[in-house]
Amino acid sequence: MINILKKFKDLQFGEPQTDQQMTVIPILGEDRGDVAEPSNVSFKRTSGYGTMVFDNEDTKAGIIPSNYMTRGKSAQDHAMSGAGIALPGETVFNNACCIESSQGGMLHGAEDVDILPASLRKAFTDMELRKRKKYNKLWPRITAWLKNIPGIRTGNAHLRYFYDDPKYKNAIESFCAAFEPVPNQLGAFILFEGVPIGIEIMPTANHWVEYWELLIRGCYGAELVKLQATGAIKKSSTLIIPKIPDDASAEEIESIFSGFTKSVQSSMVPLLNAIQITDQNSDVNSSGLHIEVLKTDSGGGGDIITQNTEPIYLSIVL
Amino acid sequence: MTLTIDSGILQYIPKGTYYEGKDEQFNKIWKMWSDLFTYDRYLFSLSTLLEGTGFSKGMMAHLLLSNPVEKGNKELMIPDGVDEQFEKKIIMYNLSKEKMPRALKNLLFLAGKDSNASKVNNSRTRKVILDYLFKDKQPEELDSMAINFKKKMAILVRHALGKYDLHKVLNGNIKTINKFFGRYSVRHDLPIVFHLFDKRPVYGSGDVVPYFKKVESYWEARDAARSGDIDKFRNAIKNLPVRTAMGFRNTFKLPIDKEEIYKKSTMGEKEKLQMETAAKKSGVKIKVDYAKQDLYDLWKALYHKILSGNEDNIEKINTAIETKQEKLPYIDLGDTVVLIDASHSMLGSKERPLHPFLTSLCISATLNNIREIIFTGGDNSKEVLVPSGSTKLWSGLLKAIELKPKTIVVISDGYENTMQGMFNKVYEHYKTKGHDFNLLHINPVFAASASEGSSRRLVADINPMPVENYKYLETEIIFNKMIENTTLVKKLLINKYQKLIGGV
Repeated sequence: MINILKKFKDLQFGEPQTDQQMTVIPILGEDRGDVAEPSNVSFKRTSGYGTMVFDNEDTKAGIIPSNYMTRGKSAQDHAMSGAGIALPGETVFNNACCIESSQGGMLHGAEDVDILPASLRKAFTDMELRKRKKYNKLWPRITAWLKNIPGIRTGNAHLRYFYDDPKYKNAIESFCAAFEPVPNQLGAFILFEGVPIGIEIMPTANHWVEYWELLIRGCYGAELVKLQATGAIKKSSTLIIPKIPDDASAEEIESIFSGFTKSVQSSMVPLLNAIQITDQNSDVNSSGLHIEVLKTDSGGGGDIITQNTEPIYLSIVL
Repeated sequence: MTLTIDSGILQYIPKGTYYEGKDEQFNKIWKMWSDLFTYDRYLFSLSTLLEGTGFSKGMMAHLLLSNPVEKGNKELMIPDGVDEQFEKKIIMYNLSKEKMPRALKNLLFLAGKDSNASKVNNSRTRKVILDYLFKDKQPEELDSMAINFKKKMAILVRHALGKYDLHKVLNGNIKTINKFFGRYSVRHDLPIVFHLFDKRPVYGSGDVVPYFKKVESYWEARDAARSGDIDKFRNAIKNLPVRTAMGFRNTFKLPIDKEEIYKKSTMGEKEKLQMETAAKKSGVKIKVDYAKQDLYDLWKALYHKILSGNEDNIEKINTAIETKQEKLPYIDLGDTVVLIDASHSMLGSKERPLHPFLTSLCISATLNNIREIIFTGGDNSKEVLVPSGSTKLWSGLLKAIELKPKTIVVISDGYENTMQGMFNKVYEHYKTKGHDFNLLHINPVFAASASEGSSRRLVADINPMPVENYKYLETEIIFNKMIENTTLVKKLLINKYQKLIGGV
């Protein structure tokens, strides 16, 4: 078994941020890899059910984050089955999945963009499902995911029901205001109630700036709001901020808070070391970039991308 | 009854925000209007004297005019310090403070136009409409109104008079004319009424009738356009607004260049801004006067220019900002330290980029007695501070408290970017230690449901004040106290009424 972060060089951890039951520990480091600027890579259209087309205006190959999801009105919403490599020009992915079970129409450009909810993403560690060219392959899991969420119509596999509901939309959007990027941030270690839920590492800080909202809001935020709404997790703050002694000066308060922040960080970061990779399968090899699908001992997994054997991207849910 | 209101009732503009659909927001605001009206009608009407949007004030006036004051209780209910006609005076005052297109739209609510409001027609609405259109209007003003707002005025006059009486007025029935227009300069204004209903004004012989230059030009231009007499048309449009002239040109397909219409007809300052691009396409350059723009728009223009690398007129905009700030009516909260959150989320939405941060800058400019402004976070690498990254808001609060001011104003969306609760811990610590300061949390990211908790609290027992527009800060402060101290607020509002309109 391999420790998940050992391959990545020179990573540090930033100060933890918490909001409700979510903790985000920024992962910091120098930019790595030689890939397209994220702003040059964009979703263009769906050319058939289960087929997503991306455009890359750069001269280098670009990375499409794992399980990138796009929704648009009067069209079938889609999501990628894993991470993608967008070659300069147009790249077609024909193993994508539809995420609405009774809506027709093709997407033209991205209206609402997110990453699939964390627990749904786990399904794509199964290589057979990931590679299967069947547009409805995720519908049963979407229906199950939506089940028991108050106020959400059941029976149809429409993720949009959740993301468009004003109550849930408001709740997931608020996470974007709570977990804002810090300088040199490449990614984040995400925990719910102190339990690891995901690890995200992008090649560059620019990539993080481009995609962090999709992850924090659409992937982890949506998962947490769903868990709150179904009563699987109680809606209360989990971290108790230390008491400040009555006679503490401003300097002492600064010191108490930074000490507490460090202690939270030092108690949570070792949890990463406990996460072990149990299986690794090659998925795509293109333009010097290699996508592998990982499985972890916790039953989760996701994608790692290497360039000339150097890992530059990681996205796993636990 | 338990009253749940916030200043959103005066700040409503009918457009959906990112979080809340238009109807959802309108329903919440409508409930707040109805609740406050039921709770205290006079507090409701007096509150419209505070800064607010034209739409909100129009809808609130509609509510007042749709509900007659209960007879018998009238004397008992009217608060001390105001006269019996104060409701109507407030409505008229608010109309007079709006720009004319907005005021006319608010009157059109009474005719069931431009809103969800139903038609309302009674002696009070008739008086309000006709007074606004005709009372104390100089002929020049009426002349312009009749050209610029012909259709709107016609709807209003028809609504106030009713079809039957309007027909009699247009057929010269003296009794009916006197009934509706007797209190105004009837003989002077009647030609205008004819014009509104597409009848060429007729002036009675022997009467002293002011010459409505624009109305006359309108009819001359229309006749010339209809007959294709270009020279006569060119001459007639000199007194007409560009829209009207362009309308005739297009309707009657006149062979005359757009450029000539822009040059020959007249344009106001606002129209210049609106027409700048269209006119430029036709080869005409329009000069924008920055000194006449609003403070928020100036900040917006400055940020837009700096961030897009356009250095044109930066100096002029900076000077205009300074001048505007000096002339703002200040709100004095005592010795104050302002803490502004400059984290990434203060950039706002794609639809309204930078809105929360620019509003914060404007709010700080309206406060008097500021000792220091502390920014937490932000990117300083450009000529202006740009919201960016995360921020330790609690650290800014520590600095502010250590300065020992009377008031700390925190302008933030309420998200800490650190461990949730640290800000509250710092606040509680100093309060327990006996530090005497007031903390106001202003949230520049507006949501109608702010009072219901969707606006994130930084401190457990302090409700954030949603202030979407810096002009509404005073309004918000008053609304913040409205429920806990209705008597005091009513007194403050009556003082405002006496100052603005005059009391008994």
